[in-house]
Amino acid sequence: MLESKSDATLYRRTDHGRTRRRSGWSVGSLLFALATAGLATAVVFWSGWPTPGEGTASASNEESEESEEAANSASGDLASSGPVMVATGVCDAHRLKAMKEADPSVAIEIPAEFDKQFPSANACQSAVDAWDEAAPGPNQPIPFSHKHHSGQFKIECLYCHSDTDKSKAAGVPSVELCMGCHSQFPLEYDEIEGIRILKQHWEEKKPIEWIQIHRLPEHVQFRHNRHIKAGVACQTCHGPVQELDKLYLVPDTKLGYLVPVAKLEMGWCISCHRQNNQQASQDCLKCHH
Amino acid sequence: MSELDRREFLKIVGLSAGAAAAAGCSEPAEKLIPYVIQPETITPGISVDYASTCLECSSGCGLHVKTREGRPIKLEGNPEHPINKGRLCARGQASLGRTYHPDRIAGPATRSGDGSLQPISWDDARGKLAAKLGSAAGKTWILGGPVGPSLDGLLDQIVAATGIAGRLRYEPFGDHALVDASQRIFGANAAPIFDLTGADLVVDFGSDFLDTGRSPVEHARQLSEGRDIASQANGGARVIAVGARQNLTVSSADLWVPAKPGSEGVLALALAQAVANSKGNAAVAAATSGASKDAALAAAGIDGALFDKLVAKLSGATRAVALPPGVASSTTAGRGTAAAVLLLNAAVSAIGTTVKYPAVDAKRTASLADVKALVLKMNAGQVECLLIHDLNPVYSLPAALGFRDALAKVELVVTFAPLADETTERASLLLPDHTPMEAWGDASPRPGVRSLVQPTIRPLFDTQALGDTLLSAARAIGGEAVATLPAGSWKSVLESNWATTSWRHALARGGEFGETPLREVALVAGAAGLKVALPEIAGAGDFTLIAFPHSFYGDGRGAALPWMQEIPDPVTKLSWNSWVELSHAKAAELDLKFGDVVTIATEAGSVDVSVFPRGGIPDDVIAMPIGQGHTVGHYASMTGDEQPQPGVARGVNLAEILPAATDEAGGQAFLSTKATVTKTGRFRRLALSQWTDNQRKRGLAPEVSLYDLAQAGSMAHFLAASPASASEHSDTEGAEGGEHARGGHHFSGPPFEFDPANDAHPDQPYRWGMTIDNDRCTGCSACVVACYVENNVSIVGEQQAIRRREMSWLRIERYVGDGDDDVSADSERRPIPSGEVLGETQVRYLPMLCQHCGAAPCEAVCPVIATYHNDEGINGMVYNRCVGTRYCANNCTYKVRRFNYFDYGRKNWPGLLGLMLNPDVTVRGQGVMEKCSFCVQRIETARQPVKDVGKPIPDGAVKTACQQSCPTDAISFGNVRDTASAPVKRAVQGANRAYRALQILNTRSAVTYLSKVRREEHEGVH
Repeated sequence: MLESKSDATLYRRTDHGRTRRRSGWSVGSLLFALATAGLATAVVFWSGWPTPGEGTASASNEESEESEEAANSASGDLASSGPVMVATGVCDAHRLKAMKEADPSVAIEIPAEFDKQFPSANACQSAVDAWDEAAPGPNQPIPFSHKHHSGQFKIECLYCHSDTDKSKAAGVPSVELCMGCHSQFPLEYDEIEGIRILKQHWEEKKPIEWIQIHRLPEHVQFRHNRHIKAGVACQTCHGPVQELDKLYLVPDTKLGYLVPVAKLEMGWCISCHRQNNQQASQDCLKCHH
Repeated sequence: MSELDRREFLKIVGLSAGAAAAAGCSEPAEKLIPYVIQPETITPGISVDYASTCLECSSGCGLHVKTREGRPIKLEGNPEHPINKGRLCARGQASLGRTYHPDRIAGPATRSGDGSLQPISWDDARGKLAAKLGSAAGKTWILGGPVGPSLDGLLDQIVAATGIAGRLRYEPFGDHALVDASQRIFGANAAPIFDLTGADLVVDFGSDFLDTGRSPVEHARQLSEGRDIASQANGGARVIAVGARQNLTVSSADLWVPAKPGSEGVLALALAQAVANSKGNAAVAAATSGASKDAALAAAGIDGALFDKLVAKLSGATRAVALPPGVASSTTAGRGTAAAVLLLNAAVSAIGTTVKYPAVDAKRTASLADVKALVLKMNAGQVECLLIHDLNPVYSLPAALGFRDALAKVELVVTFAPLADETTERASLLLPDHTPMEAWGDASPRPGVRSLVQPTIRPLFDTQALGDTLLSAARAIGGEAVATLPAGSWKSVLESNWATTSWRHALARGGEFGETPLREVALVAGAAGLKVALPEIAGAGDFTLIAFPHSFYGDGRGAALPWMQEIPDPVTKLSWNSWVELSHAKAAELDLKFGDVVTIATEAGSVDVSVFPRGGIPDDVIAMPIGQGHTVGHYASMTGDEQPQPGVARGVNLAEILPAATDEAGGQAFLSTKATVTKTGRFRRLALSQWTDNQRKRGLAPEVSLYDLAQAGSMAHFLAASPASASEHSDTEGAEGGEHARGGHHFSGPPFEFDPANDAHPDQPYRWGMTIDNDRCTGCSACVVACYVENNVSIVGEQQAIRRREMSWLRIERYVGDGDDDVSADSERRPIPSGEVLGETQVRYLPMLCQHCGAAPCEAVCPVIATYHNDEGINGMVYNRCVGTRYCANNCTYKVRRFNYFDYGRKNWPGLLGLMLNPDVTVRGQGVMEKCSFCVQRIETARQPVKDVGKPIPDGAVKTACQQSCPTDAISFGNVRDTASAPVKRAVQGANRAYRALQILNTRSAVTYLSKVRREEHEGVH
């Protein structure tokens, strides 16, 4: 739980970084900032800030532990309460099957209409995890899982974020693009709430209001296409999105600084721009104009 | 209570600060809202240009509307368009703001009994209109402004089909006198096209052709091409301006004839007679037999020598053109004056060369006399329903006409204006039209040139195109006649009108740009013995009142636009309010100083307005700009002021004091009354952005005579010339003055000589630089608007502008002569703005922007390195690093840094105006210094494609916003380390007049100016 707290703290800190006034610092705010930095450092030590190298891994371990825990407790409750558990949907069937596999003594019943391959167990699980309140990051309007699409199905990032190599803006896929695939899926998939919401948006022709996770301040002019052309992997800035059901700003802890530098802050940008023989520009005006 | 030790104290401070910081984090999350269906042509982050047409005035310039994510963010000229060839004036660029304007009417509405507006549906609105048209079509009139040919045709069809009593196409600044004169002199029922291409002499009889004339962008371009000093050693075309007030055109003229207001016609006729006699043109001589030189001299108040000089110049010119009066000099003798000027054109054989008549007859437009007749009908109860479109008659018609009272007698007043104005305030049914950015339409600037208007954004409000509204209302009436109306929507009507050409091709190109079919004209027999009367200038008073069109407001519609209010008038440098110009002598006589409020009274009414004393106006004349005095509008009135006063007029409306006088053709005569000036004892400060036109001999905007240029020959010679020897040839400067002027003037080396220690990184291929040709600059301020729009420069409002906190990154400085270094005149707080002398044009314009100095004074003093020099020579300003000490601004040699005192960027874009901000440029926050960036966002955009292939940015790939808009191509920008680049070529070509502003301070400015050339001195040397 300590780990999870530190993630939350870090997320907040990053949030603070981007809401900082662009208009610069007064003497008062400098003092204020010094004090804040002191406190933040203290928080780091108290809350067991992840040491370099183990941040993301430990976070995901903790996550899986937690979900297992949840599953166990759930199965315990069910096992004690009744004789036969009847599946109420395809996803529920997947869950019961998994339970049976783990503990053959459990009695389950899968009605024929729910005994299906699709939606897959992974899809069901991803949809649940994408709206896991306990996981870091905000709940999106649709329980969309990058892990499912990008990690399990290996869909290229640029298939959906197709402007990334063309424009400064990466672009978020249109509802139409989502429906390009999802309209061809069997109707059983509608059991997943995310799919239902997606189809509702499509029918009402209403855009999806995603909550922005990777946000640069307004005074930064970032060019996605430049970075793609330079061969920078998406994950360098966006973290291992292919492993995440629910997106959040994954902290970067690889730098051996006293106070770890959060992702998407300028020091972190510059640390990369300084690498590789300084091929990337370090001119202020490149990004700030 | 235990004492706190240091450690304890820090802990507490740290905790409380931390708590405050945590509380500050609760900013609402930003949303990413992608398309439901992404249009194929739109890539977020990449702009798309659409060709369209500017409808802000009747010139009909072509547009490229730059859109980002489906939103128009900037207007630029269409390079293919024959009128403006890629350039665009200040007003055209500012018209972008209409679409996002806080004054937009949200949807159809009716006015209820208590005067409030009730929204209704379009169906109900259409029903109301149709019911009225069905029952009282014979008592329905349409009063409208100029519209494109397709809509015009459709409206005529609707009038015919529904039996509407009549339709007036009225333009306040119409051309009736000129068309009528053409008919009488040449038998041509059309307004001539004035083509300044290749002209060697342009005589302007008060049309103000460079600013508020018939086609200012086109004429400014043609003139600048004809005056290009690099290609014409003799200086090219000369400009002679006739008129009492020094306006923008007079500022650029080589010779100013300050004839008394209203004497233009008599003078032109006498000149035509003299020229015809000297050239042996019998026909014109016969036509001008009624002229009298002596009478002309007396009327104009000029001496015989000047008259003879004019005759000599006109007779000696090979391709001269005379331009008939514009609004400011339209008199009750307007037709006679226009006829006299046309005769002068005939005398110099300009007809067919510089003055061309299109083969197509002009469509008759309504004149003020026609509107008068309509007002009589309204008063007599013969008008039950009045439809008003593209016009704000309550504001712009002379109050003396009684239109407002007559309007109250009309049962149903319907307006189609998309923005609230004085007329919509009195309308009972509001059916808002789209703005030109949202609508389909077309324009025909002249026969043969057709230009399309296409929507570039989905309508932001519940509006409907005028054509569709009227079509559907007419169809709702039913009946046989209505069946003759074209089927389909307004757009399909438009498409069918363009059926002769490829629609898609026309859309992509912006229209169909053919040759104008011309007709041969000759003097008609009836033209002989033309008599031109002196106009009647009625009323009592010591002063003749000149009501001149403001550079930015047009007939008043421009006053609604934030930039048009904020950017100072190019001549007086005043903004945000009205003023009255008065000569220094008269001001002293009446004990009036700048800002003192006086009452201007005519027989029609009186207004109170602040005084602006100046030199460029005769003692018996006062001048006031048309266009202010709106009582409705966020910017146009005081509604959106820092101290909001809803419904209070900003400035004064000249319609209140102008009589409804007309010329012989029925057009409004704006120069028709005398006025009295009475001191009130009150004072109202005006927002004046430049407090002096005295450059104190610092050589900021020097002038070189043609003689000096010829003597210098090469730059080396020029530079070698000692101050003393240079001043020998300079008759405008004393020996000492010459020294001063030269002191700030000459280069120590060739232009753009690279200094690796200062200018840019020696390993980088670029040093961005600019060359500005002051000789081409007319001061029109199109570049200033371009800069405001491109760079999200904030509007500060009148109160802040008075405190001189305007945020302009680029300003046009205006100086008169070299100035004098007597500083005692400035000891008084109120400015002494004018070194102008009646009849002398010593005006120099100096576009002033960040000079991107190699050795920049600002960089050295910034404590946080927020301003620094980048490797490509740009003086960078990093907003997020700035802490607002303002040391840089204090140390800036050129005063081009602006400080954002009150977060103007966030507060001052009310309504949807924020939607038009350029996403490539940061909106600066409070407490941050900002300044010109050489449009670094455009440099970076141009770098993208070439960086991929490892090539340098080619010359011409980067056009700064100011450069792009300039009608006279005065600005060139590029990499000055490339000796073949445009700015270097221009600077080398003009090396004998090249200088840097305040070169003596060795700031190593990246902007090279080319001096204005004085063409009138040493005439005959060449």
